[in-house]
Amino acid sequence: MDRPKDSVIVRIAGAAGDGIASSGEIFGKLCSRLGLHVMAYNAYQSAIRGGHVWLQLNVGSQKTLSHGEAPDVAVLLNRTSPPLHVPQVKKGGIVFYNSSNITEDLSKMRDDLTFYGVPFRDLISDKGADMVMANIMLIGATIQILGLNPQVGLDFIRDRFGKKEATVIELNQRIFQLGVDWAREHAKPLKINLRGDGKRRMFMTGNHAFGMGLLAHGVKFYAAYPMSPSTGILHYLATKAKSHKLVVKQTEDEIASINFIIGAAHAGVRAATATSGGGFSLMVEGLGLAGMLEEPIVVINVQRGGPSTGIPTKQEQGDLNLMFGGQGDFPRIILAPKDAEDAFYTAGRALNLAEKYQMPVLILSDLFLSEHFQTADPFNFEAVPIERGKVQESVNGSYKRYLITEDGVSPRVLPGSPGGIYVSASDEHDESGIVISDVLAGLPSSLEIRNKIHAKRMRKLERARHVDMRLPTLSGPQDAELTLMGWGSTYDAIEEACGLLTEAGASVNHLHFTDLYPLPAEKVLDLLNACREIIAVETNYSSQMVRLLRAETGYNEIKRTVNRYDGEPFTGEDIFNRLQEVLAHV
Amino acid sequence: MSEMKDFNSEVHPDWCPGCGDFGLLSAMKKAFPLLNLEPHQIMTVSGIGCSSNLPGFINTYGLHTLHGRALPIAQAVKLANHEMTVIAVGGDGDGYGIGVGHLVHAMRRNIDMTYLVMNNSIYGLTTGQTSPTSGLKMKTKSTPFGNPELPLNPLTLALGSGCSFVARVYTGHVQQLIEVMKKAIEHQGFALVDTFSPCVTFNKINSHDFYKQRVKDINKNGHDPSDIFAAFREATCEAYIATGIFYQNERPCYEATEEETLREPLYKHRLGLTTEQQDQLVAEFL
Repeated sequence: MDRPKDSVIVRIAGAAGDGIASSGEIFGKLCSRLGLHVMAYNAYQSAIRGGHVWLQLNVGSQKTLSHGEAPDVAVLLNRTSPPLHVPQVKKGGIVFYNSSNITEDLSKMRDDLTFYGVPFRDLISDKGADMVMANIMLIGATIQILGLNPQVGLDFIRDRFGKKEATVIELNQRIFQLGVDWAREHAKPLKINLRGDGKRRMFMTGNHAFGMGLLAHGVKFYAAYPMSPSTGILHYLATKAKSHKLVVKQTEDEIASINFIIGAAHAGVRAATATSGGGFSLMVEGLGLAGMLEEPIVVINVQRGGPSTGIPTKQEQGDLNLMFGGQGDFPRIILAPKDAEDAFYTAGRALNLAEKYQMPVLILSDLFLSEHFQTADPFNFEAVPIERGKVQESVNGSYKRYLITEDGVSPRVLPGSPGGIYVSASDEHDESGIVISDVLAGLPSSLEIRNKIHAKRMRKLERARHVDMRLPTLSGPQDAELTLMGWGSTYDAIEEACGLLTEAGASVNHLHFTDLYPLPAEKVLDLLNACREIIAVETNYSSQMVRLLRAETGYNEIKRTVNRYDGEPFTGEDIFNRLQEVLAHV
Repeated sequence: MSEMKDFNSEVHPDWCPGCGDFGLLSAMKKAFPLLNLEPHQIMTVSGIGCSSNLPGFINTYGLHTLHGRALPIAQAVKLANHEMTVIAVGGDGDGYGIGVGHLVHAMRRNIDMTYLVMNNSIYGLTTGQTSPTSGLKMKTKSTPFGNPELPLNPLTLALGSGCSFVARVYTGHVQQLIEVMKKAIEHQGFALVDTFSPCVTFNKINSHDFYKQRVKDINKNGHDPSDIFAAFREATCEAYIATGIFYQNERPCYEATEEETLREPLYKHRLGLTTEQQDQLVAEFL
């Protein structure tokens, strides 16, 4: 290549507890502050110490669409790292390692790579300069060869450790600077052209974005039980509970979580919970209750590798079928945001839709979206104005909580209002809330009420389907020979794959769903029919979205699929490679 | 000022004639006016079971929810609108069987609400199976050769779980029930009132007569409700069946830890962020 690259992939690897996350944060935020784009992915295990972890960051002058495959630069912190990562480094790449810790001669492993052993112990012997701080030195060395401004790194360290003693900040800054200086003297700068655009972006995860989105759009009650990879939302909101005056409650289990938010929603408070598939399974009965009582709740399911306990720290989109769980028919909305920015707005939209339709709104995230760090443009807090739906302030005369209306939505009177007394029951009930399931069951009048009230609840879904659900987006040439179809968090990776395929001469576009249910079926079918061949790309075994489309639209032409279920998220390169195999089997 | 009749519902109870639950319903309607409570100020929350049909039979705001899940919902209603008086009601299967996990945590959490359990030691609505409080060897439809499991003791469970108000009454003694109920509602914290509420259809052992012959009001006999050891003794006494207030302590209720947040009821909070708050949230990630 003649032109210097405008992106670079850096991998930092070591033991859990080696400070991978903090060095990754320093490196990522430094790049973000320089106006560069970052996509990072953290590979870790369900162990607190002793596991091997690595963080890969794809940094670019343009938006980077995945964390990439083979790294250009590897930063290795412990002795387990070289055999695992050296073979994966891109041809001609660079390896930084802590030579005070990794004493073997790594250069024998591959002769096409350049190895730099940074002697942490020789460079600093201060008391307090623990070996665990080597990650900061190696980050300093890395940014030097990437030609990035070290002052931004020093400033970030000051901000990051701002609450600690001055000596701690100074020590970290000195270690960072020693890395920069060492590399300036010993290492050759990489031929790369990383140019930031000067824009301020946030470096954050999808869980941060969900948390901020809930907070910004009026959540006042959040109840959850810890479950990876959803717990980040609980952690985020817990730190905001006092300052933003909301109740954040860790409950005894997920059954309690969903019932807590039903109670809060009933009393007129915006309420949400998040969990992963196992917890969601426990919540399913409560979901039906929210459907029956017509309570506005938001439930986020952050999918991980299933079934059962599955692979808690790995990626999968395997819970789409599960989102339809529950006995009987009741209305629900299912949304699957595509990235952190979308997560923020989707949280706001979900809270609005829940109150507009008085029904549960489910958000499907996954480990990749919820836990990977990426740069995101500062959010527009005014984009989704808070709309609370039909709430009746006072009652004149009789009040029917479940009044049959044309759109199926009955005005709410909040408990505590004089004159508005009613009972909301999980048993089938009439417009006033009076139960028709016991002594009145089977009477002709009850049959009629049942028909009317059940249809009223379900009618809300039809309005949502036609008024509020967004159609899938189509990017790339309209008349492409091949359409890659995805949903939720795979958006960027599929975009990246389309770029690679187009470069290789293929005619390809990308159809992507974020609003999964209820689908405006006829319009969706038109879009599907307009595609020449659709290949579904999903991180699950059974192509659950293909099944949903078949069920909802009758479209039965998706014959080939790309499925990944080993627990790792897609990258564009990975989709590209898998597609070659799929296409070879005609 | 409210009167008993203000709490009458247009729906008549579907309980069997003679059911112990009538006593509790009547005590509620009598206790509320004594506490100067108006119907709209009360939220009655139940699970599923014969006794859980109660919210339909009383004129207050009501939530008739899922089997075993009354407490999570009731606690959240209280946190969302703490100006309301929140009463959870249900049976022994609901509260001590399927919902016992929530009960234990509700007791240690100590949100200011009252839980009235109509304990009949049988599953009535499902026509007579063993319950968590059915006696050892008791023959039921699901244990035709006798119940092989020891009954759960709700009072010692409560005392051991940090419950700040623990009481038990036989529903046939309505006057005592009214007095205990009043104190339970006035208590600032989680109050458990376990009641013996005989099922006249499916439990021929724990009948009205059974309790009439055995219960003894310990509050008339010098019991000290601040003495938790005495409470355990009375709760496990085999010579008679103790009733009354076993234990009460005035530890701060959960809402006290959320004083700032709950200064104004949560449901009345203004929603949305100031520009300054928005900037602060964004700045954390720059």
